[in-house]
Amino acid sequence: MATSGNKNMNAKLVLLGDVGAGKSSLVLRFVKGQFIEFQESTIGAAFFSQTVAVNDATVKFEIWDTAGQERYHSLAPMYYRGAAAAIIVYDITNQASFDRAKKWVQELQAQGNPNMVMALAGNKADLIDARKVAAEVIPLGTKLKYSSSNQDMSKIVVQDRKPEAQTYAEENGLFFMETSAKTALNVNDVFSEIAKRLPRLQPAQNPSGMVLMDRPAQTPATASCCS
Amino acid sequence: MYGTHSKRDMEIDYQSQVPILRPSIHARRAKITVKFQDLYGFTVEGNVDDVNVLNDVREKVREQGKVWWALEASKGANWYLQTHISSTLKTSLKFSALVNAITLKKLIRKGIPPVLRPKVWFSLSGAAKKKSTAPESYYEDLTKAVQDKVTPATKQIDHDLPRTFPGHPWLDTAEGHAALRRVLVAYSFRDSDVGYCQGLNYVAALLLLVMKTEEEAFWMIAVLLENVLVSDCYNKNLSGCHVEQRVFKDLLTKKCPRIAAHLDALEFDVSLVCTEWFLCLFAKSLPSETTLRVWDVLFNEGANLLFHVALAIFKMNEEELLTVHHVGDVIHIIQRCTHQLFDPDDLLTVAFDQIGFMTTTTISRQRKKQEPAVMAELDERLRRLNSINAGDEQ
Ligand SMILES: Nc1nc2c(ncn2[C@@H]2O[C@H](COP(=O)(O)OP(=O)(O)OP(=O)(O)O)[C@@H](O)[C@H]2O)c(=O)[nH]1
Ligand SMILES: [Mg+2]
Repeated sequence: MATSGNKNMNAKLVLLGDVGAGKSSLVLRFVKGQFIEFQESTIGAAFFSQTVAVNDATVKFEIWDTAGQERYHSLAPMYYRGAAAAIIVYDITNQASFDRAKKWVQELQAQGNPNMVMALAGNKADLIDARKVAAEVIPLGTKLKYSSSNQDMSKIVVQDRKPEAQTYAEENGLFFMETSAKTALNVNDVFSEIAKRLPRLQPAQNPSGMVLMDRPAQTPATASCCS
Repeated sequence: MYGTHSKRDMEIDYQSQVPILRPSIHARRAKITVKFQDLYGFTVEGNVDDVNVLNDVREKVREQGKVWWALEASKGANWYLQTHISSTLKTSLKFSALVNAITLKKLIRKGIPPVLRPKVWFSLSGAAKKKSTAPESYYEDLTKAVQDKVTPATKQIDHDLPRTFPGHPWLDTAEGHAALRRVLVAYSFRDSDVGYCQGLNYVAALLLLVMKTEEEAFWMIAVLLENVLVSDCYNKNLSGCHVEQRVFKDLLTKKCPRIAAHLDALEFDVSLVCTEWFLCLFAKSLPSETTLRVWDVLFNEGANLLFHVALAIFKMNEEELLTVHHVGDVIHIIQRCTHQLFDPDDLLTVAFDQIGFMTTTTISRQRKKQEPAVMAELDERLRRLNSINAGDEQ
């Protein structure tokens, strides 16, 4: 649970999602600013911590990076119990991982902490040629505006029509971002967005359900940096 | 011989490849972190003191080897394989078998020399016996029969091959991947209830490095899952693993009451760190030689050893654990300790001398007690999840 001092708070955060969706890679990118092509498969869960500055306060995340294999599901409650935030990760090139992500959302809604801040992360956004989960509904006949050779991934423009994942996120009170642990796209942003939405830091009503895709630049994380 | 897959070119002798490192005075003063290869080819990061410890360990391993050779000279080459006290033996032989068993137990707790490990493990664990009850060509036939099959287990295995000790000079090569794949795939077909459980990849990988042949590594996996460990550790809902975690928590309360009370107050569930230990048999947490020393005893004395070792890790850090108040700090203390346990004796001395005796019957009774509770909890959870999903579809 999030516990706060005056300006500094600790927040337990859990990453859930299918095997190989890139949970460990996202954490490694966030905590150490690195990407390793072959990450060891996670057994049980791995723990990390990292501090993010939001406005004039800091949030120290205690991060549980869980194992994705189906049979490890029975261990998950131990990791999400009391968590202030969750990042549910799927792989945009793998439809099954998106279905799995929805299952996690349902489970957290039913069993998790009711004030939990939840983020949906469509990871491996650098692999857009292999995309299987639409971030946006593309009208027939529209030419794709970007390709894998696109240099600046952060400039991807979300169109006004609602994407499958984004619609799902809005309907379920999560915020949604496409990320890439490989290129660092949106990785720090997911964490700082969560930090901002944590209840103690934001006594005003929590605008859960609002999706911020085209907001101004975020306060960067203190330690790691983007590519 | 065993056919195509065995005794393949796995005879890489890591020990001989590893240079003895003599850190300079300069490096020692600076307390810098260095990367080096350990006895089994794993890259480890540590400070200069760690390098020195590792060099001492290498020296101790050599000394321990001499003890084994001396015993071989006096008792005969395979004396350690004759410790089974069967009722048909003559009294005098029974006595000598008993003496051998006691000598062996002590000796094994001090470590089996790496060159003898394959032979000693294979025999003492029961793997040799298990293999002898199957047709001679069992492993070869099995691997041939299943090599082109695709199942959820094989897909998961393929996904994990490059993610099992990445960067290791043999395991992370095409040849290493192929060997690991055959062992894991073969086992997934031998026991379809287990199929493939993540965690086994690390165990099998380390077994391959030690046993040197795939076939023997395969039988070691078989005997581990079917006889040495408690049943259902790796099945579809990990029920055996849940049971072990509960038994462990009770043991911690009994053996290390101050730590248990302190962690309780922090709402720290020890399973958060222990699950990986029990599922990978420490392969992912401890330095390689330390893990293998734990396995030496595991194969001779049985699964209760895992409790001793896990308790020892907490015990060794008792004072420091009592001073911290954040979950993160607890984990850092434990992880720093396990990653730096380069001297196996530091750990095993505590495991045997400070944890105290735990009888097999007490632990078995504990397991029996926890089983129904675990099953009930898992059923309840499944029921709730199903009702969430059903509600969603309406
Ligand atoms: N191209 C690309 N590959 C990625 C990205 N994130 C992860 N990967 C790759 O996907 C594979 C799996 O990544 P992990 O981070 O280990 O996945 P995980 O979700 O932690 O998997 P488990 O621990 O088994 O549950 C690795 O080979 C990564 O290199 C990404 O953003 N882009
Ligand atoms: Mg992982």
